[in-house]
Amino acid sequence: MAISDKDFEQLRDFIYNICGMYFHTTKKYFLESRLTRRMEATGTKTYQDYYLLLKSPRGSEELKFLMDEITTNETYFFRNVPQLTALENKLLPELVEIKNKMGFRKLRIWSAASSSGEEAYTMAMILLEKRATLLKDWIIEIVGTDINETVIAQAKEGIYNAYSVRNIPDAYKRKYIKEDNGRFILSPDVKKFVTFNKLNLYEDSKMIFMKSFDFIFCANVLIYFDTASKSKVVQHFYNNLQPYGYFFVGQSESLHGVNDKFKTVHFPGGFGYKK
Amino acid sequence: MDKNQMMERAEILVGAVDDLPTIPVVATKVLQLLDDPDVQVEEIADLMLSDQVMTARVMKLINSPVYKPTQEITSLKRALVYLGLRHVRELALTTSVIDVFGGTSGALELNAFWEHSFGVGMVSKIIAQKIGYEDLEKAYISGIIHDLGEVFLSNFLQEPFMEVLEYIKAHPVKLIDAEAQLLGTTHCEIGLSMARKWNFPDAYCDVIEHHHNPGSATVDPILCAIVNISDLFCSVRGLNYGGREWISFNLSEEEAWTILKNKAPGLAQMDIERFCYELDDAVPDVSALVSAIFNSPEKAKP
Repeated sequence: MAISDKDFEQLRDFIYNICGMYFHTTKKYFLESRLTRRMEATGTKTYQDYYLLLKSPRGSEELKFLMDEITTNETYFFRNVPQLTALENKLLPELVEIKNKMGFRKLRIWSAASSSGEEAYTMAMILLEKRATLLKDWIIEIVGTDINETVIAQAKEGIYNAYSVRNIPDAYKRKYIKEDNGRFILSPDVKKFVTFNKLNLYEDSKMIFMKSFDFIFCANVLIYFDTASKSKVVQHFYNNLQPYGYFFVGQSESLHGVNDKFKTVHFPGGFGYKK
Repeated sequence: MDKNQMMERAEILVGAVDDLPTIPVVATKVLQLLDDPDVQVEEIADLMLSDQVMTARVMKLINSPVYKPTQEITSLKRALVYLGLRHVRELALTTSVIDVFGGTSGALELNAFWEHSFGVGMVSKIIAQKIGYEDLEKAYISGIIHDLGEVFLSNFLQEPFMEVLEYIKAHPVKLIDAEAQLLGTTHCEIGLSMARKWNFPDAYCDVIEHHHNPGSATVDPILCAIVNISDLFCSVRGLNYGGREWISFNLSEEEAWTILKNKAPGLAQMDIERFCYELDDAVPDVSALVSAIFNSPEKAKP
């Protein structure tokens, strides 16, 4: 069923206000098809009825199902290109300059919802390319954490399907990925920079030990949290970030109203949060 | 480089061009006529209709997503009534500027240039609205004409300007700094020099000169700050001249943002992230507007 502009905007605003995830107009048909599935499952006839269901006392339960539909849980290498470009060309060189002056040649990066490891390994590849130049003699530590042990095991294994690797630039692919019967095997050169651990972002006693990161990524996870939990988790990220470090969320996410300490730094096609 | 030296150089460069386009006669007449307090809408409409291209441009602008009339306006007279005579001056000015440079090609890709300009116009109007700035159309027009000097550089200093564009591709410097370094002047001084030649109102001259340093504005620092912030937003969200220069910014460090927050403290609470995402959504509208203005046959009903 075709969604009207008015219904689309109403549901978009609702999702944004609850989850902090913005649905661009270009994603209208995607949202339409996912909403249709939920409408069939719940027996609601119109988008308006479904909106009313979400706002009803039963809404919070339904919202979880909706989120599962609209946040495709898949992840892939080189997912957020504007973010990576900014990091590689501007934010990283700036940070390296600051730390060089301090004589502290160590870089720590945290992929805070690492899933099967694509984001953490993407960073590893990008940094490896700088090994001979910008990051010569630097210690590089990349940590991936997730609450789900199955995906952690996958991440440690480092074997991917064609979908996961489709966005990797050819030069990187040739260097760091070996194809074997439709399976794509990550080079040990990349793997050795990354460690994966189980971590629940809600668990304060463990979160306080995730110290001194230069870059923290947490894409498409906070959208599942209510505002109070979001604020708490983001405060941990804030505390665990170096004074000159950056925190990044996913491509259409927003921290508005969640934390007023971070400063938003805009760059072409995206932004990062600076301490 | 010294500001006065850059201004002198701009005057020389602009003065040296014999065939600097002029604002169409009709526009000048419209501007004169508007100074008459007893002027009637009919008189202005009749005069503008003698210039078919201007009429067509006005009709396209008025029906664009930026002005958003509730239903399509098809007659020039209704357009003028809808806008109010006070805004006709701005409209005549803009459409003329578009005319003067619309068809020419230089170092810049013109569609990308006008997409940026109209984008800055649109965002300027939105920000003007948010902070309670009194004249929204003025903000809109200011956005459209702020980079006028670039078109001059692109057309009349094509080769040196190409070098500037090449330079910023390889170096992480701002366009304006590269211009100062390689040309000895910038699009701000060049634009100001042109705007003076064309007798633009002072507030527009101010914007053209100070949209990169609104704190130095003398006529309307708030207007300059509006255009400055809009320029920054457009430069990171797809209305960025095809990404020709590396821009990154943090509002809390921007002088213009402080100026605007002093005027409207509520601005500090603005949902910047959402604003950026909405801007992404508006990019196709702006591209459509620009391509409607520049890439389609001109036709309009009286």
